[in-house]
Amino acid sequence: MSWEFLAGQFAAQFGLWWVIWPGILLGIVVGILPGFSPQNTLIMLLPLTLAIPVEHAFAFMVSMYCANHLAGGVPAILVKIPGSGGAAATTLDGYPMTQKGQAQQAIVLSFTSSVFGGLITTLATLALLPWLSQLGLYLRSVEMVIVMLFGLTLIAVIAAKDTLKGLISGFFGLLIGVIGTDHIYNAPRATFGFLELYDGVPLVAALIGLFAVSEALVMIEEKLIVGAEGRDRAMRASWADTLEGLRMTVQYWWHIVWTSFVGLAIGIVPGAGASIAAFVAYQQSRLWSKHPERYGTGIPEGVIAPEAANNGVTSGTLVPMMALGVPGGTTAAVMMIVLQYHGMVMGPRLFTTNPELAYGVFVAMAVAYLFMLFTILPLARYMARIVLIETTYLAPIIILVTVVAAFAERQYLFDMGLALVFGVIGYVAHKTNYHVTAMLIGVILGPLFEQYLARALRISQGDLTVLFSSTIGNVLWGFLVLSLVLPAVKGYLKRTR
Amino acid sequence: MSRKAPLGADLAIPVLALGFAAYFFWSIADLAWEAKANGVVIGTALIALVAIQLTRIAAQVAKGEGDLRADPLWQPREVLAKRLGMVLVTVGFIALLEILGLTLSLFAAMAAALVIMGVRKPSIVFWISFAVAAAAYVLFIALLDSAFPHGPIEKLLS
Repeated sequence: MSWEFLAGQFAAQFGLWWVIWPGILLGIVVGILPGFSPQNTLIMLLPLTLAIPVEHAFAFMVSMYCANHLAGGVPAILVKIPGSGGAAATTLDGYPMTQKGQAQQAIVLSFTSSVFGGLITTLATLALLPWLSQLGLYLRSVEMVIVMLFGLTLIAVIAAKDTLKGLISGFFGLLIGVIGTDHIYNAPRATFGFLELYDGVPLVAALIGLFAVSEALVMIEEKLIVGAEGRDRAMRASWADTLEGLRMTVQYWWHIVWTSFVGLAIGIVPGAGASIAAFVAYQQSRLWSKHPERYGTGIPEGVIAPEAANNGVTSGTLVPMMALGVPGGTTAAVMMIVLQYHGMVMGPRLFTTNPELAYGVFVAMAVAYLFMLFTILPLARYMARIVLIETTYLAPIIILVTVVAAFAERQYLFDMGLALVFGVIGYVAHKTNYHVTAMLIGVILGPLFEQYLARALRISQGDLTVLFSSTIGNVLWGFLVLSLVLPAVKGYLKRTR
Repeated sequence: MSRKAPLGADLAIPVLALGFAAYFFWSIADLAWEAKANGVVIGTALIALVAIQLTRIAAQVAKGEGDLRADPLWQPREVLAKRLGMVLVTVGFIALLEILGLTLSLFAAMAAALVIMGVRKPSIVFWISFAVAAAAYVLFIALLDSAFPHGPIEKLLS
């Protein structure tokens, strides 16, 4: 790949601004609204993407996908409702920043971390593509089971004030995630007799219930979601706050760089996804911080880490699809369908037979991130005003509108009722400090966990010791144990000093 | 006023998890091992974690550090009626959706929810409910043509 080729690709992608911009705008809307996933939107738009030339279709899909990851952080910061699972970790410090009256700075940080995180990892992917594509091959079903348990443990350790409560939430979510028929015999498990649960628990209903409905039921205790000082700051919000957010971006530039690479590394693992990446990056950020005790109180690093990582995932997810023909996630799977419809064969040969498309995808991603910066940054000031709406109005709107959105994923009225049930469970969890984030991530990981564990157990004829049979897996087990033990040891040492 | 920690509330999620795990085990009892392996592995881990939590709570109660009150779940009491009202309105909304269609049932539910939340000015109740219902109609019915039940408004506008 020469510089001339790359420059030509950039010029070609800039020429596709008329496809990229609508993709970005649609991605922002879809990302902000819980219940609208990029994969569902892409499926609805299949008639369009199949009809236009493949380069145009891919530029559109990639722009929408990246913008969706970026925008999911907005409701997470403003009202503690992540637009997608990948933004769940953003609530940990984003929402406290809002409560302190720094919503605008948090949103700007989220945008810039997302854009630069996405841009840096996309450029790195372009440079390292042949090597990166091999990484995913080393992780088989056994290692994937441990990766998921590791992710869940990290979330329990990070997000919950009480690790045991976090673990109970996570495993409760994981068991809920296994509801439905099994992959081999199609036998229903724990479906309460509902046919609607045979396909498993709908993730959108779980997301909406655990975050939106439960949070709205809690927020009615206060007049505004911000305190008195926060309200005064929000009312005085000006362009100076946007500039303050940009100043923070420059101050923490290195943080953006390294946490985005955490996202890239995890994105390459098929199925791991943005939610795990964001939490791992957040945990690593806290682990290496000079002031880990301030995490969760509303600090910039706590917003940067998950946002840079969940956008670092975007390019990583496409690597196994382009290089191996294995989609890294559902959105990538939809994109693959479009490519296959156009006669493209995924795999290593794509880079020699059709380099314009293979590398062009990542160039389109880089261009989309550049466009996004100028599209969305000026909006931060106006988005932050939402915190000034009284909860008297905000809570009913959040509950009823998000319950309606729960219908969007599968078009079942049942899912709306399920969102309400999850809302009540989430409310009880909120009030008793059983972290809903750990529960949601458990629900998200449940089906994948089942798939990989079943595969590993079939290979070993049901012998559970297979989970300790690989070197990489055992190293991961070591990290898992360390993640549980280290915080306790650190806390003990701090107390004794 | 008791200074002991109200640990009864802390039991809610573990008891729910335990009940669900028991139901899960019951539902997979007759299945082949491949179909129940995941449930057994996750359920066993969950039960072990819940057992540790229950032991911890029992120890705290025995030491006199806490009691089994569940106050945090319904405090502050002054918003309890609003909270229950919001849940009931949502249940009513979902139940009426088939009969009234999306637009009308959302309008009615939004109006009821605002009144429960303490909004008393009829014009505000009307216009907010109207705006939300109209936006839902435009997005879900007119643009996305989703499978929401159609009621009198949708039939009138189709």
